[in-house]
Amino acid sequence: MSERIIVGMSGGVDSAVAALLLKEQGFDVECIFMKNWEEDSESCTAEEDYKDALLVCDHLGLKLHTVNFSKEYKQNVFDHFLKEYAAGRTPNPDTLCNKEIKFNVFLHYALELGAGRIATGHYARIEKNNGTIQLRKGIDKNKDQSYFLFMLNQQQLEKTIFPIGAMSKKDVRTLAKEKGLPNYDRKDSTGVCFIGERNFTEFLHQYFKPDPGDMVTVDGKTVSKHDGLMFYTLGQRQGLGIGGGHGEKEEPWYVVDKNLENNQLIVAQGHDHPGLFHSQLTVEDLHWVANEVPSVRKLTAKIRYRQKDQLCSFELNNDSADVYFVEPQFAVTPGQAAVFYDGDNCLGGGTIEKRN
Amino acid sequence: MHYFDHSATTPLHLKVKELMDEVGGLHFGNPSSIHASGQKAKTLIETARGQMAKAIGCNSNEVIFTGGGSEANNLVLWDLIHHEKKHVVTSVIEHPAVLNVLDSLDEFGVSYTAVAVDKTGMVNPIDVQKAITAETGLISIMLANNEMGTIQPIANIAAISKDHGIMMHTDAVQALGKIPIDARKLGVDCMSFSAHKFYGPKGVGALFMRKGLQLKPLIIGGSQERSLRAGTENTPGIAGLGLAAELAVKNITATQSHLDSLADAFQNQIIKACPDAVINGHPEKNLPGLINISFPGFRSDLLMIHLDRKGVAVSSGSACSSGDIKPSSILSAMGIADDINICTLRISFGTKNNMDDVEYLTQALTSSMEQIRSAT
Repeated sequence: MSERIIVGMSGGVDSAVAALLLKEQGFDVECIFMKNWEEDSESCTAEEDYKDALLVCDHLGLKLHTVNFSKEYKQNVFDHFLKEYAAGRTPNPDTLCNKEIKFNVFLHYALELGAGRIATGHYARIEKNNGTIQLRKGIDKNKDQSYFLFMLNQQQLEKTIFPIGAMSKKDVRTLAKEKGLPNYDRKDSTGVCFIGERNFTEFLHQYFKPDPGDMVTVDGKTVSKHDGLMFYTLGQRQGLGIGGGHGEKEEPWYVVDKNLENNQLIVAQGHDHPGLFHSQLTVEDLHWVANEVPSVRKLTAKIRYRQKDQLCSFELNNDSADVYFVEPQFAVTPGQAAVFYDGDNCLGGGTIEKRN
Repeated sequence: MHYFDHSATTPLHLKVKELMDEVGGLHFGNPSSIHASGQKAKTLIETARGQMAKAIGCNSNEVIFTGGGSEANNLVLWDLIHHEKKHVVTSVIEHPAVLNVLDSLDEFGVSYTAVAVDKTGMVNPIDVQKAITAETGLISIMLANNEMGTIQPIANIAAISKDHGIMMHTDAVQALGKIPIDARKLGVDCMSFSAHKFYGPKGVGALFMRKGLQLKPLIIGGSQERSLRAGTENTPGIAGLGLAAELAVKNITATQSHLDSLADAFQNQIIKACPDAVINGHPEKNLPGLINISFPGFRSDLLMIHLDRKGVAVSSGSACSSGDIKPSSILSAMGIADDINICTLRISFGTKNNMDDVEYLTQALTSSMEQIRSAT
């Protein structure tokens, strides 16, 4: 009997094509739709997503199961997300969701159901190299999702297939259309899964009471008020509401820093303001995909999704590391991930703890 | 496919299907039209009303056709907003088509008391009596529960309601065709039915409304169904419901013993194969062919997937909550611990099932448990 692969089916075109390819390769394919968020009626798209997953599986003649991991998601991802925001940081729930839900709870569930491996529609590749399993960037440089997967370890990668990692999004869509997949032209999902298309700040307002304070320039001049530090992100330009008359020039204002102690939001004018740039940062909770510290000649890092690779070096201290960039980086944001690469090999990374 | 989920829905009876095809194809006239085609359609609807009335022991003019069981419940419950007395006595094990409606009625000043059940899933009439207040305008307790199959003492409760001059409704959606129903003997004022639970079509239901009872319509428009349900009638569906009701009660004793034999055989086999299994519900007062069973240590979501692979359709908790391993609120209400609760399946046999199916089911269950055990 052929190996059973269980595909995490989201309703999107990527996981649909992943399932299609595996089926064509002769695997015994089943699909699971994960419900990780309890509907709050407003604009949760789970029902819509499930409908698409159902139509895709019907078209491909594949079994579809539904599981509900919302309890695990709440405990292991969302509570952490809120805690980070409360601490004035900007967490990345997608990396944590991959680590805790898709490649942990879901993986175990699939193994429990007799799967040899799981598959997802991520744009990333898995390659064996001298007994080490490497996580590599997806071929489509625009869509590469290795950034969100840097927390995976050898055991998880060994049990995983990324069937579309070597395809471009364009080819995925073309194939989906060619094969008559009902969701071939469904638009790409954006934003955090549980927030969907909703306004992010409004979403946060459901969980945090306003905690107003002063908006202060780097020189200490109060220019406006803020609603609560958690509602702002470093490097943010829109929605600051600083009226005319405060700036000396016509340039826009940016969030430069948060002073939690005095509940002050520090702002500066102009995209090139030196306060917005740092060339040194500290990452914590370091994780290496190959389970060993890499030694790489041309190490690069990304400090946000879809950022170009930035040359850097690092100095290890126990579970954390200081990272030194060749070029100063715009809006280094605590809570986000810094992910290291050697070319297209994703080495691992950590959470940005502070800028220096 | 091996289908053991008849409490969720049933396949159409072949004769019902034939009738519906015929009615849909030939007798498409608008029942309100006065020409021959309209008259024929009207005749079909009135025939169905007679069949339904006979099946539940009431007069034809006491049957209102609706768009299903939920609508029948809503018709009764929404009427409360016009009542002076807006308190309802109900039970914790009612279907969402009662409890969620009552929750929605909160903003219209309707309040309710949901009485508890014992560990067999049974409501105690004394509890109902105790819950009655000076403001109570309605008692609504289901005739038989959808998850456990426990048959409630509706006649006793209806007697209490009569003593207090309170309107009494029962949701009988699960019961028709499984136990004899006599509206007079039960003594209720209104009673909800759904055709697809007794081998009729989906999207059609009926409300028994004791003569003299007045309700306000939910859907307002033309004068169909005595102005209680406006809109051109679903003639094929209603005709299908009528015939299905007639067929369902025609051989009810034979049906009961058929379903009982299957359920007994299954219980014997499964307890032999899996001595840990626990049968929930009432030992006698339960719907024939419905078994609520817990397999300690085997989560129902996993069991369901393994069974689904083998072409077996059963249910975990109530059908609305599949894919969700939340403990069933009904089992919780009966005092069943969460770890057993989430290991519970509802198996509901139908008239097309036979002993081969029972054997297949036992086999499928035992091999699924083996597979789960070996994977963990």
